[in-house]
Amino acid sequence: MRTFEYVRPLDVPDALAAHAGDTATAYLAGGTTQLDLMKDGVLEPARLVDITRLPMRGIFTEGTALRVGALTTMEELAADPTVERRLPLVREALLLGASVQLRNMATIGGNLLQRTRCRYFRDPGVAACNKRAPGSGCAAVTGPARMHAILGVSERCIALHASDVAVALVALDAVVHVEGPEGDRSVPLTEFYVEAGTRPEVEHTLGHGELITAVEIPRLPETTRSGYLKVRDRVSYEFALTSAAVALDIENGMIRDARIGLGGVGSKPWRAAAAEEVLRDAPPGPAVFREAAEAAVTGAWTVPGTEFKVELAKRTLVRQLTTVSEVAP
Amino acid sequence: MSTARELPVVGPALDRVDGPAKTAGQARYPSDFDAPGQAHGALVQSTIAAGRITGIDTSAAEAAPGVLAVFTHLNVPPLPRGPMTGLGVSPPAPLRDDRILHHGQHVALVVAETREQATAAARLVRVGYASVEPVLDLDDPRATTVDDPWGLDSERGDVEAGLAASAVRVEATYTTPDNTNNPLGLFSTLAAWDGDRLTVHDATQWPSMVRETLAHVFGVPETSVRVLSPYLGGGFGAGLRAWPHVILAVHAARELRRPVKLVLTRPQMFTSVGHRPKGVQHVRLGASADGRLLAIEHRGRSLLAAEDDDYEPFAAGSAVAYACPNVLTRDQQVRANVPAPVSMRAPAHAQGGFALESAMDELAQALELDPLELRLRNVADVHPALGLPWTSNALRECYAVGAERFGWSRRPARPRSQRDGHWLVGQAMAGVSYPWYQAPSLARATVTADGHAVVGGSGMDIGTGTYTVLTQLSARLLGLPPERVRLELGDSDLPKAPQAGGSGLTGALGSAVHDACTKLLDAFLDLVRDDPASPLRGSAPEDVLAADGGIRRRDDADRSETYDAILARHGRRELSADGSSTPARPAELGMAPAGAFGAHFVEVKVDEDLGLVRVSRLTTVIDGGRILNEKTARSQIIGGAIGGIGMALFEDTITDPVSGRIANATFGDYLVPVHADIPAMDVTFVGEPDRASPLGTKGVGEVGLVGVAAAIANAVHHATGIRVRSLPITLDALL
Amino acid sequence: MTFTPEVPPAAPDSHPGVAGTTTAFTVNGTPRSVAADTRVTLLDALRDLLALTGTKKGCDQGACGACTVHVDGRRVLACLTLLAQCEGREVTTIEGLSRDGRPHPMQEAFVRHDGFQCGYCTPGQIMSAVALLREDRARTDKDIREFMSGNLCRCAAYPNIVAAIRDVAQRGGVDADL
Repeated sequence: MRTFEYVRPLDVPDALAAHAGDTATAYLAGGTTQLDLMKDGVLEPARLVDITRLPMRGIFTEGTALRVGALTTMEELAADPTVERRLPLVREALLLGASVQLRNMATIGGNLLQRTRCRYFRDPGVAACNKRAPGSGCAAVTGPARMHAILGVSERCIALHASDVAVALVALDAVVHVEGPEGDRSVPLTEFYVEAGTRPEVEHTLGHGELITAVEIPRLPETTRSGYLKVRDRVSYEFALTSAAVALDIENGMIRDARIGLGGVGSKPWRAAAAEEVLRDAPPGPAVFREAAEAAVTGAWTVPGTEFKVELAKRTLVRQLTTVSEVAP
Repeated sequence: MSTARELPVVGPALDRVDGPAKTAGQARYPSDFDAPGQAHGALVQSTIAAGRITGIDTSAAEAAPGVLAVFTHLNVPPLPRGPMTGLGVSPPAPLRDDRILHHGQHVALVVAETREQATAAARLVRVGYASVEPVLDLDDPRATTVDDPWGLDSERGDVEAGLAASAVRVEATYTTPDNTNNPLGLFSTLAAWDGDRLTVHDATQWPSMVRETLAHVFGVPETSVRVLSPYLGGGFGAGLRAWPHVILAVHAARELRRPVKLVLTRPQMFTSVGHRPKGVQHVRLGASADGRLLAIEHRGRSLLAAEDDDYEPFAAGSAVAYACPNVLTRDQQVRANVPAPVSMRAPAHAQGGFALESAMDELAQALELDPLELRLRNVADVHPALGLPWTSNALRECYAVGAERFGWSRRPARPRSQRDGHWLVGQAMAGVSYPWYQAPSLARATVTADGHAVVGGSGMDIGTGTYTVLTQLSARLLGLPPERVRLELGDSDLPKAPQAGGSGLTGALGSAVHDACTKLLDAFLDLVRDDPASPLRGSAPEDVLAADGGIRRRDDADRSETYDAILARHGRRELSADGSSTPARPAELGMAPAGAFGAHFVEVKVDEDLGLVRVSRLTTVIDGGRILNEKTARSQIIGGAIGGIGMALFEDTITDPVSGRIANATFGDYLVPVHADIPAMDVTFVGEPDRASPLGTKGVGEVGLVGVAAAIANAVHHATGIRVRSLPITLDALL
Repeated sequence: MTFTPEVPPAAPDSHPGVAGTTTAFTVNGTPRSVAADTRVTLLDALRDLLALTGTKKGCDQGACGACTVHVDGRRVLACLTLLAQCEGREVTTIEGLSRDGRPHPMQEAFVRHDGFQCGYCTPGQIMSAVALLREDRARTDKDIREFMSGNLCRCAAYPNIVAAIRDVAQRGGVDADL
């Protein structure tokens, strides 16, 4: 790790001023991504602005939504009674992520901004990484790539966005509140992330120096059932091979509304809008679930190591649709 | 006197004597030591797998704050390779030339005032390479091969004739990946010179070997070198060699004339301290219609470093696993541009057992015979190669007790016939015959004037419980309560004992301790032989036993005396005796020395749609000879078996096929079992004290792992009907 | 602007090298003030500067749990926490668990149930287990296993660790750490 200056502002304006959009400055929240990548030599900020003392913590009800301060930890959000009662898919996604220790550190804002676990990205000894060194190529596409993405990727980059809770939040149309040198703004999470596309180094629309201050999560209607299924080799403490966040509003034997997020597959937390479209106004059942799953993975781009994920993602979604809808398989 | 023969077959479950220190954070591991004025090292490793260094620019690193020196092949003089050890050659010397033989090879050591400075400066070293395409694969035609590397290839009878005569034959190929030992403790070396005297706190399983190596490499007498490893954060074989980074730290400390501490990073643990090498095995079995084995052919190939050796005879164990008249085993190693492999818990048998016990399950299926019954019909009641009776063998009891505890009789024969919701359920088993191994050992026992004993040898406790079981043993032999016995281990200045490895330390050092304690009692009897004040005067060893802090006559409990009383009357502060042990010789015994035997019974659940595999039950029965401490021995078996679960389902060190770089060198990416993966486990010990050693023990450090991967693969087949012959068994293979 | 604190260079005898921060915090109930390079993690500060080597480094990447300590009562990983972030915080390490020279019930239970072999992950396991009871997550073996899964044990003493935690939970649960 190279040397850096450390500052600890106490309010948001001071934090923004301390950062000042300087490309050599970075914010530090829970530290579980930032410090890890600094140790790896991937991030080398000259100044760290510790934002953990800013007044951006806590969970508040605002109309039909929850407003979650960006510094709220994963454990705190998971323990919230409203989340437990009304947003099971969020709670399950949180508690299936990382470990208790990491969830006590990691903040919800930081979680959304976590960097890929791609070991080619995380090792500066690897020359070819378009995300780390734009234009240098991608060593992962010819490598063993079991933990990589199949949606929103190309030969330029197959890095996976590994967040669980972000998958649930994109499905819920959560909104990110941002403060920056140019003022406040709000961005739907579905528009916050950017597919790897031609510029894998660009992962989201947050400007350098902007801060996520809060995440607004719409509460699901009382009648909506939801849940999160995470598929991985170990029972616990592992990133998803595939996952599915599903919320279904079923009325009189018909799916009135469906919300689907897929994890373990996308260069960004993946909203499966095409699958939702298949389900909407259809009776729940195995056939339509399989049709939705096919739609969800349309456009998948695989390398030999990720081919299995196409089928696994489909089965994961079908299983979770079956579970949430309580339809006999 | 008291002898080991009077010990119970399964010894009392004494809590670990080092437990309070370990649970309080007071046990000091190599990286917990600091020396006054120490500097910190950080390694730079190659980013190519094969080729040459064309240039190294160390100027930026040398100019960085706090940097004291940068060592490269350009400024490190040729260091001699370490000597031959009891387990084979030493690793090549570090930084010996400009050649790169594997990705992650050390190319520089940066030493600075602080850890942070050294680590930061290491990133500033610029290395130019001329790269060539590396050999990374077992089937690369450019690779050189080594046939019969250990002289263990074996042949008896005529395998082809046996196969021809067989009613049923199976033939299959099994593959196992690289696994990485990954002890939780980062390997660490703290080297401090005082003139020509060298003290090293090193993460080693074998202090005396590191001492010999450092004395040889740095040209000083062995008596000038002290290597300490009283506690080690695991090793599983990784600590069985004096690795290049150890040599580098010692060299840097000598050059800089100050102590140097070097702690490897977790990614460096994947390339610097060995791994279980990947391999391919081909097995052919033939049997009569009633399930008698008529032929076993087992051929194994494993990957080896370009210029180093490793002991990994996959196939050799199959020569003695079953009673079979026609057996052929062949092993071959393939040299490649990979980091050096090393023994990893149950080397060779971990992989060989997977192949053989999977093949046995396939044979049982082909015979339409119960897999347990197939094993029972082929138990080697005498050593199948030597024809000698075993010094102990309770394999049949392992099978019987395991089957009973597991409920084997309720298992349906047909695969894919049990279901629990969307989980398919299956049960299977595997048997284990682990080889006998023992090395010579010395030990010393001392009783001091305050009536306490100090017992020790240079061997160490890697977590197996050596401190505890030798405390129990010494206490019993000397007639002292355990709290009045202190064990000294992990210090090369102590009498030379072998490595903590090969499941042989308890037998070797324990036997030496037994000898030392016996001789110490003799010494006390000598002291009082003509002592008119002693009630023991004139007693012969067979007349007495050790009890109540001293010695008493067997024929008269009133004729006794405590050690402290004897020492006080004779004006002695202490009395010591040295003991030794040598491995048994089969010819002299007229028996074949036996290692541990065991049987694993496993139940798995496999998600029908998602391919998830979960181990839901595991019953293991072990014949480990005499068990000195039921609690620590059980922990050994549990730990080994969970290592087997990791091997079966998770562990896979993945090498990038282009660069030769390990692509998953972190604990986030290289998966080992976690709490949630492990069900309740049922472990039972059976058998009798082994006749090859005075203690009657057989090693239990490795046997628990062997065969578990096969039992799980067999259970996955029983659950799903899908035979997986490649580890780890991940959901991709079951979709 | 109210940056806190504006940092002086580290005292050279405290931690040689570049300018850093001085961090005032509480460790095992004792107020401490440590001047160090800004790069120093809580883990390295405990081990190298405060001689509290009970907290172990198993990966330095937030992946093994060996460095688990409590900060303001919650279990966190010391390797991914900067020392500077601990200003004003209360840190508890394995060395701070005993009371009046008596081991914590969890420490005793680990010994009784042989919940370790090499012992390297043990301080982290115990710190995690004590927090687990406080979180009221030791109600079933399944919960214990799930919520202890951030602590790797390569010797694989897992069943015995679960037994130790279950034992303490049954003997008094969250009160056991008082």
